[in-house]
Amino acid sequence: MRVWRKNSSTTDAFLSNLARLKFTRMLYEYEIDYDTRNSYEMGLNEAFWQFLVIPEENDTQELTYWHFENDLDEKNSVSENGLGFKTVQVRSKKELDHIKFNAHFKLTKKEINPFDFDLPLDIDEERKLVDSLDFRVDHEPYLRKTKFTQLLEEHTSIYLFDKKKSIFENLTELNHWAYNHLYFKTGVTDVNTSLDEIIENRHGVCQDFTHLFCAIAKHHGVPARYVSGYLHQGHGFFGDSQMHAWAEAFVPNVGWIGFDPTNNVLANHNHIKVCHGKDYTDCAPLKGVVYTLGKNETEYSVSVKAAQQQ
Amino acid sequence: MGTAEEKSIFSSYVKKDGLFDEVFDKKGEVKSVYKKLLDLYGTRTIDDYVELNNKAKSSFFNQGITFQVYGDKQSQEKIFPFDLFPRIISTEEWETIEKGAIQRNIALNHFLWDVYHDKKIIKDKVVPIELLSSSPNYLHQMMNVDPPNKIYNHISGTDIIKHSDGNYYVLEDNIRCPSGVSYVICNRTALKRALFGVFNHYQTHSVTNYAENLLHLLETAKPHGVDMPVTVVITPGMFNSAYYEHSYLAKAMGVELVEGRDLFVENDFVYMKTTQGPVRVDVVYRRIDDLFLDPMEFSPDSALGVPGIFAAYRKGNVTLANAPGTGVADDKAIYTYMPEIIKYYLDEEPILKNVHTYHCSRPQELQYVLDNIKDLVIKPVDEAGGYGISIGNRLTKDEIERVKSEVKANPRKYVAQPIMSLSVHPTYIDQKESFEQRHVDLRTFTVLGKDEQFVLKGGLTRVALKEGNLIVNSSQGGGSKDTWVLKP
Repeated sequence: MRVWRKNSSTTDAFLSNLARLKFTRMLYEYEIDYDTRNSYEMGLNEAFWQFLVIPEENDTQELTYWHFENDLDEKNSVSENGLGFKTVQVRSKKELDHIKFNAHFKLTKKEINPFDFDLPLDIDEERKLVDSLDFRVDHEPYLRKTKFTQLLEEHTSIYLFDKKKSIFENLTELNHWAYNHLYFKTGVTDVNTSLDEIIENRHGVCQDFTHLFCAIAKHHGVPARYVSGYLHQGHGFFGDSQMHAWAEAFVPNVGWIGFDPTNNVLANHNHIKVCHGKDYTDCAPLKGVVYTLGKNETEYSVSVKAAQQQ
Repeated sequence: MGTAEEKSIFSSYVKKDGLFDEVFDKKGEVKSVYKKLLDLYGTRTIDDYVELNNKAKSSFFNQGITFQVYGDKQSQEKIFPFDLFPRIISTEEWETIEKGAIQRNIALNHFLWDVYHDKKIIKDKVVPIELLSSSPNYLHQMMNVDPPNKIYNHISGTDIIKHSDGNYYVLEDNIRCPSGVSYVICNRTALKRALFGVFNHYQTHSVTNYAENLLHLLETAKPHGVDMPVTVVITPGMFNSAYYEHSYLAKAMGVELVEGRDLFVENDFVYMKTTQGPVRVDVVYRRIDDLFLDPMEFSPDSALGVPGIFAAYRKGNVTLANAPGTGVADDKAIYTYMPEIIKYYLDEEPILKNVHTYHCSRPQELQYVLDNIKDLVIKPVDEAGGYGISIGNRLTKDEIERVKSEVKANPRKYVAQPIMSLSVHPTYIDQKESFEQRHVDLRTFTVLGKDEQFVLKGGLTRVALKEGNLIVNSSQGGGSKDTWVLKP
């Protein structure tokens, strides 16, 4: 998803905004709805669905209310996926030709200030740390290249890091570059589109921007992960939309910082995180096992409302 | 009963120079453990033997002990070729094998715990990080998961050979879903039926206690709070080449044999569908590969697994044996670090030797491999079942060039080892109606439980039936022999 703004903010403007916010520590309250309907042409007798749509609870997000509903009158059981994120599982043994599922959340989000850390390391020291064996071992899962985050040999120089700049500056510039390099266009890519197709055709949606960002960060030795979540589209504005994707990259001495290359911003209070993983595969909002032939159709929508601001 | 000299069993047995014969020493004398057996067989003719052998074979067919080869769709089910001349291992030699196998599998278990927790062995630069980061079998979902009793490789199959220098070497460690144990037991049953008289003259360890030991040790890993665990064996189904074994083990342990669709998960507990309603399952001896275990977590289009079972495992509500993710250590590249791995975790010297290995990922070793390809076996690092192995001295010039360019293109994918001369054992060859030397190896089976280990006293002696062939896998045309471990 992309937020349309008249002027895409420069990093500088963003920095000053955040600096101001550091002192106010604002709280935001959101109401989120995730609705999906899956229908199966031939019907089925047994199925298992798993939804990865529950906002993560972390330093900046607190879930105050949640409610799940399906129209099959089956239990909604909360479980955890292999990376520790909460899921909702629904199992049915009934004859059915569709499932409707709704998840409703209320959430309090704190203002994120990604600059709330000690002075960054000296640039050379920082690089040395990132290249060290211990660092590479600790961050192996998110340095590993996957099908969607592996640059082809001929694309490895598509974006180069500037050794004179800090990792954070490099990542911010990469975010900006990815934003400009790809054209946001829906319907031309899907969950199976490979990274090299995206690089060659230069268009895609948020998950493609995110994969590109992660691939390049990893290629330069910076751990990066795919984040799936909800995006609030702006003050007072609400409406139907889809799930969003952005990236988190690990900056030594700081930790994981969210970058949203689709919108050329750092992740902020509008970004409500659900989960992260190596790429989209780890974060698909719906996985299902259905024992049926024939076509199936999936529709889903998301709404994020800002309830009130303090 | 024939009397003519040329018809006696070993009359036409040719002992080739340079091969290590398990039965005859260098002077051609029968080794002490085989003396009694040869005395007994010596009173018989080859025709007697043929008759007995055919009876034994038909008993295999009747029991349905068959297998099918992958990639050979036309092929019928075959019986595992088998002969009535057992391999005998002395008490002293066995002691070394057993201790060595336990040492190795405990070290592998430490390694697995480490790579899924602190990764000290990598940080200490004993094993290179690339072996994790390039391994598709290294499952991040297992990171910081504590399996019951800290055991990952509950069941291991350690493949051992005797080289022409008379020493045992480990050829590979199988710690995903090693198979073959049912053949060990069936071979013994068949041999006992055909040759019950011979058994009276030897004090041989039983192999039929495998299933009870397996069940006992699996149950030591039951989930917390469970008193009387319900154990099942899960199989990919009857089209799997080892289906016979899955059904045999379930039957012998007295537990249910299930397929993925027979189980379901609710609230992170695993249940079995039965006519009396759902029954909670506590321990799953799984014979399904990691990738197919749970479509929610691994391969999304797997119809073999159980959706949600991994979450139940992570929560400690069900035990999976072997643990998911063991495949990272079941890798020919990890094998090459086994002496270092044993030293690192146990501070011991390996009891069983490792075959020297050249890593094609190291430039100077790659060069050696390319220069000496004729004297080496080239193996892909992550192919199971003997597929993709090239034996240097058997390759034509064109094949050598092809292998070389393949290795150069993907050095990480290959390791090379000197061509080991596996020991040979007299083996009955149907077409020739006589005994000939054939290369053999030995797959041993180790089970790790809570503070106790079990090694099956016996094992599967696999025979390369093609003359001169070194690859003994059943999928590559190998046969088997009953293996006797003598009591002191």
